[in-house]
Amino acid sequence: MTATAVREPTRTPTRRSPGNVLAGTGTLIRFILRRDRIKLPAWLLGISLLLFQLATAVSGLTETEEGREDLARFMEGEVSAIMGPGYGRDSISAEVYVAGVYGLFFFVLAALMSMQLVSRHTRVDEQNGRAELVRSTVVGRYAQLTAVLIVAVAANVLLGLMVGGTMTANGFDGGDGLLFGASVGAVGLVFAGITALTVQVTEYARTATGIAGAALGGAWAVRAVGDMIDDYGSPLSWFSPLAWSNQTRSYVDGRWWPLLLSIGLAAAATAAGYALSNRRDVGAGLVASRAGAPVAASWLRSPLAAAFRLQRASLIGWTAALAVFAFMFGAVADQLTDPDGMSENRIDMFGGSVDTLVDGYLGVITLFTAALAGIMAIQGVQAVRQEETKGRAEPVLATATSRWTWLGSYLTVIAIGLVGLLLVAGFASGIGAAASVGDSSYVWEMTSAHLAQVPGVLVLLGTAALLFGVLPRAIGLAWAVVGGSLFVGMFGTLMDIPGWLRNIMPTEYTGQPPLDSIAWQAMVILLVIAAGLAAAGLAAFRRRDLETK
Amino acid sequence: MTAAIATSGLVKTFGSTRALDRLDLTVDTGEVHGFLGPNGAGKSTTIRVLLGLLRADSGRVEVLGGDPWHDAVAMHRRMAYVPGDVELWPNLTGGEAIDLLGRLRGGLNKARRAELIERLDLDPTKKGRTYSKGNRQKVAIVAALASDAELLLLDEPTAGLDPLMEVVFQDVINQVKAQGRTVLLSSHILAQVEELADKVSIIRHGEIVQSGTLAEMRHLTRTTIEADTSRPVTGLELMPGVHDLEAADGRVRFAVDGDHLNDAVQALSHFDIRSMTSHPPTLEELMLRHYGEELAAAGNGNGEER
Ligand SMILES: Nc1ncnc2c1ncn2[C@@H]1O[C@H](COP(=O)(O)OP(=O)(O)O)[C@@H](O)[C@H]1O
Ligand SMILES: [Mg+2]
Repeated sequence: MTATAVREPTRTPTRRSPGNVLAGTGTLIRFILRRDRIKLPAWLLGISLLLFQLATAVSGLTETEEGREDLARFMEGEVSAIMGPGYGRDSISAEVYVAGVYGLFFFVLAALMSMQLVSRHTRVDEQNGRAELVRSTVVGRYAQLTAVLIVAVAANVLLGLMVGGTMTANGFDGGDGLLFGASVGAVGLVFAGITALTVQVTEYARTATGIAGAALGGAWAVRAVGDMIDDYGSPLSWFSPLAWSNQTRSYVDGRWWPLLLSIGLAAAATAAGYALSNRRDVGAGLVASRAGAPVAASWLRSPLAAAFRLQRASLIGWTAALAVFAFMFGAVADQLTDPDGMSENRIDMFGGSVDTLVDGYLGVITLFTAALAGIMAIQGVQAVRQEETKGRAEPVLATATSRWTWLGSYLTVIAIGLVGLLLVAGFASGIGAAASVGDSSYVWEMTSAHLAQVPGVLVLLGTAALLFGVLPRAIGLAWAVVGGSLFVGMFGTLMDIPGWLRNIMPTEYTGQPPLDSIAWQAMVILLVIAAGLAAAGLAAFRRRDLETK
Repeated sequence: MTAAIATSGLVKTFGSTRALDRLDLTVDTGEVHGFLGPNGAGKSTTIRVLLGLLRADSGRVEVLGGDPWHDAVAMHRRMAYVPGDVELWPNLTGGEAIDLLGRLRGGLNKARRAELIERLDLDPTKKGRTYSKGNRQKVAIVAALASDAELLLLDEPTAGLDPLMEVVFQDVINQVKAQGRTVLLSSHILAQVEELADKVSIIRHGEIVQSGTLAEMRHLTRTTIEADTSRPVTGLELMPGVHDLEAADGRVRFAVDGDHLNDAVQALSHFDIRSMTSHPPTLEELMLRHYGEELAAAGNGNGEER
């Protein structure tokens, strides 16, 4: 990018009118809305629809006294701390449960929406050289950042209103609905601000969203640990922006002031973003890229090694994240040892017998982790697809590397990565469970339970590979399968999932060890299916044109 | 000489776009073959078919005596490729990318790698995402030229290089030529092809419209002659193959078809030549004849073909 050194005369002492640095903001706002005319409404409507579905389902559960007691149990102790501080568990109602437990999902969704929105119209544009083109017209220095932040604020306000409206439409209190909506929107604002800051720091959009995502993960961990320390949250919780949104206590004794903290943080991060944007060139980062090795490591000499090298960071990240996740869920298994007052529903969810509640719970968690591993598998195949569409596959396939070897290497690396991931996650959750229940046999049981899910996840990988070979443009369809598995795993017992839908989810067939015994036969069949799908994908890829830029 | 590349009747369509339309291209072993055409003519598509990255709808392709679609891997050990639009891995350095591509082809010459990096003034320690277009191109050039490949397919390899680097590149290609390797060099930079190429093929709308040595091609086209003569020139405009004659104050200027050059110059000598210059057609003029019918019609007066 030699042409990017468009240094702004930042150090000139002459004062300029603000109109100057903001010139073109209005046009850019319309331009952003035009570019995102599908994406933004899809996010807003999707979030509202999910909320409506969940609220309806929970309302059904709270009709009986037993159901309410059951939900209240789910808001107690360490398990609940993963989701929230547990306000209102003493007088549980559907809206308290939705806001207090499922609220976390909506916080995370609002954060993801904002992070993607801001990075898409700042660093992604810069990285692709589009920002430069725009900045060369009559557009002020701050116009691009300001335009996207105005859109982000509007989107989060709208999201808050829609969330509040959805809750009210479900028959819950309107005022508290608005407060809950504002809490969701506030998280969105905070992460819009944080992303406005991180996109200034790195030259690379994925790193910028990665840092913002890590901040989100950190915020969750701080709040979860903080809320585990003490009922209704400890001082540690207050270091997390997610806690502030929980601390509004909507539907319990609602208060608005914690959101001032959110707005303060959003404003501070945004201000820092503006300040940093002033100190760098268009297209450049604050942190200059470090120099690397002038020659490749000697092991980097085969298509398999190359595939590993290019997937390594993602494999390590996923494995570490899921290991922490699995450990935390394993570590709270002792919450399930006492079945007193547990509802039929809950017992059904965890296997239907009071004697095997812990195993049932661990089985559900294992399935959930496996579905998350499915996300990694599909992301991996999508990364391979990017290699192709971005034109990086072309020079490799022009060497003595066959199509079969090239794609096969990636699939092998992802498959082995999946086994490693489930092994590590299983071991971590086993240690957590063994420590909390006081039974060391869980270490082995959880490890083997996770490994038993490998064939199901490999079928997901095979599905993605088949799509890559046959219908590469439609590779996103694989998300439907993994999304379905995740949905069935997470909300399956809460909602009535039609049988046929369950039946096409590969993770349905391996059972739920450690509760169920390991289904060897199903595993073998799934492995054969996975291999068949992958082979079909490879054969189809061998036959089609390489897509070039 | 055997042909390193031979295609006949090659057709490749993308939906309704006919990118290659019965393309016949022959490149002999050991020659540097210029592959000229404007944007969208089908140069990159041809090269990708030659590499077996795309499959032709119909027609015959033979590269190094094999079928690139079926024997891609075996062929590729003996070929090296510089894409027109080089993309690198954002988190690998240029040096790592060079080594990776070289090793995947079956090894690369370390000394030549070092020499090329030095001559092209490339910093191999930078990450792929920080390279400019020209530097990404240099990475691909080093990876291709540091190999021992017999056949080099270079798709507009100097599009992003500065003039200084272009000179270095020409020098390097001349070395390659001296080693007896075959090069297919696509370009729309005419001067460069003129400098390097033994033969040239001109592609237009997916079809080779002209192919041959530069000398042959010039033969087919008109040479412009300007001369001062002691006596006024008369009757020359009546000779076959002479066009656009202008005469004034003992000075004459005309264009003459290649196969009538000798007759015209002999006739001219009867008028006692005091000084004479001739301009062979440049590749620009060659291209203009095929690409700008309108331009050609306006510029050449009568606008007749050939
Ligand atoms: N993958 C593709 N899909 C659709 N059209 C393509 C594709 N690749 C090339 N084309 C079209 O084929 C024609 C030839 O393109 P190309 O070979 O890239 O030309 P050149 O390299 O000579 O500039 C152009 O009209 C181009 O738009
Ligand atoms: Mg091209």
